[in-house]
Amino acid sequence: MDSCLNLLSILILLSSFILVANKRVISYIRTFRLQSLLLAILSGVIGIYSIEKTGEIDILIVCVITFAVKVVLIPKLLKTTVTKVGYKVEKDFFLNIPISILICCGLFILTYFSVSTINDIKDAQVKAYLVNSISVILIGLFFMISRKKAIGQIIGFLVMENGLFTTAVLTTHGMPMIVELGLFFDVLTAVLIMGILVFRINENFDSIDINKLRNLKG
Amino acid sequence: MNKIAYIVVQLIIMLLIAPLVSGIIKKVKALSQKRKGPPVFQLYRDIYKLIKKDTVVSKTASWIFSVTPYINFVTALIAGLLVPVSLKLTPLNFGGDVIFIIYILALGRFFMTLSGVDTGSTFGGMGSSREMALSSLIEPTLLVSVFTVGLISKSLSVHNMMETLSSIGTNIFQPVYIMCFLALFIVILVETARIPVDDPATHLELTMVHEAMLLEYSGKNLALMEYGAALKQLVLITLLVNLFVPLDSLITFNNAFLALGVSILLYIAKVAIAAVFIAIAEINTVKLRLFSVPNLAAISFILSFLGFVQYFIVGGIHG
Repeated sequence: MDSCLNLLSILILLSSFILVANKRVISYIRTFRLQSLLLAILSGVIGIYSIEKTGEIDILIVCVITFAVKVVLIPKLLKTTVTKVGYKVEKDFFLNIPISILICCGLFILTYFSVSTINDIKDAQVKAYLVNSISVILIGLFFMISRKKAIGQIIGFLVMENGLFTTAVLTTHGMPMIVELGLFFDVLTAVLIMGILVFRINENFDSIDINKLRNLKG
Repeated sequence: MNKIAYIVVQLIIMLLIAPLVSGIIKKVKALSQKRKGPPVFQLYRDIYKLIKKDTVVSKTASWIFSVTPYINFVTALIAGLLVPVSLKLTPLNFGGDVIFIIYILALGRFFMTLSGVDTGSTFGGMGSSREMALSSLIEPTLLVSVFTVGLISKSLSVHNMMETLSSIGTNIFQPVYIMCFLALFIVILVETARIPVDDPATHLELTMVHEAMLLEYSGKNLALMEYGAALKQLVLITLLVNLFVPLDSLITFNNAFLALGVSILLYIAKVAIAAVFIAIAEINTVKLRLFSVPNLAAISFILSFLGFVQYFIVGGIHG
């Protein structure tokens, strides 16, 4: 059980590293889908465990919703946005890929040291979960600021959200149902709005490069 | 006395199996393309044929060119002696022999790159510079993943590492080992010139790396170079399967010879399966541009590094 959760949490972390190494928009979406699938499996495992223990079915419902929203719906929405915009490969980075991976590695170490200063965590397992999932949040943030194009930033936002969800599920074994539902709708509407926004930016500026947003238009 | 017997057995197994791995990989690749492909034992025949042929050495080549095949072959063979094929064999071992394996293979590579430059052909120089770049990119991964296992088993000798990892049972499925396993797998793909970085089937293409350095060789020298490359591949695969797929604890025969025989058969099966997996990895990937290889190296480094940090957080054996 513990070993399985640990493996899943580190696979989620690994998928966010793979995301940073990608430069095709389609593979951004594919990696995000993979990460969400891992997340759904993670919540499924915890759900089955909590049914056995307390008989609560909440987390299994969360697992099903995660699958429906994050593995099926959001990637589909993003794909339609991408095909509308017709933008395929990210060409100019602020930093090249190996350096950004090494920076993410640094973020991981930073998380490790900052988590190990919390003295109240006695369980090494929980510490490992925290390190892995907080690193996912930070890597999502880094991904957001390291990509120039709007689609990369949407994916970064979603990865951050995945990290938050992983942290919550792993450390508390499930938040109250209503909070989870609220989060899902939050993310879904955010993606919808951002998708439309990207489309609009593309229409007005002929590019989804966010640096162009600074240009005055008269 | 036992030691000598062990060394002889180890040598014979290494020398006999080495060319088989390439044969299996080629066969699986051919089957995936609905071709019949060369027979599994093709490389043995190639080496036999090459040994009978004359050697041609360029007039401009120095002594390095003619010495390199021997150095390449012998360094691979010594590295092979240090990686026991079965837990029941201890051919050669001393503290820190993992580092010795890595750097004796690096010595062979050093002479190979020198010989690539030596004849002055443009392809050779190109291949040499690429090979050095790739090896320097992939070396950190290899060291970090091996050191992680070394930290867990509190020894840097391959035999002790194998003993520790085969004594932990199902704990082998912990993230530490899985990450190190995947990292070493990528290392094997890069070090043995497999498809994501180099296509072993090409001759005279601008993208070749390993083949470019062997271009000037012929006859016996070429046979030795090919055999050396096959041995190096087998050494790395042995390191991978014997560390992370320890099945020796399953063998419970009382008879020592029978147990040894079964464990060697098991080892051959493991190597064959690893070869099939390498072939599958090759089939499913495309050759990367040379400038994308650092990304692959970074990913493999991250894999080993995640394993390394996991060891510090949860520890290796318990958890």
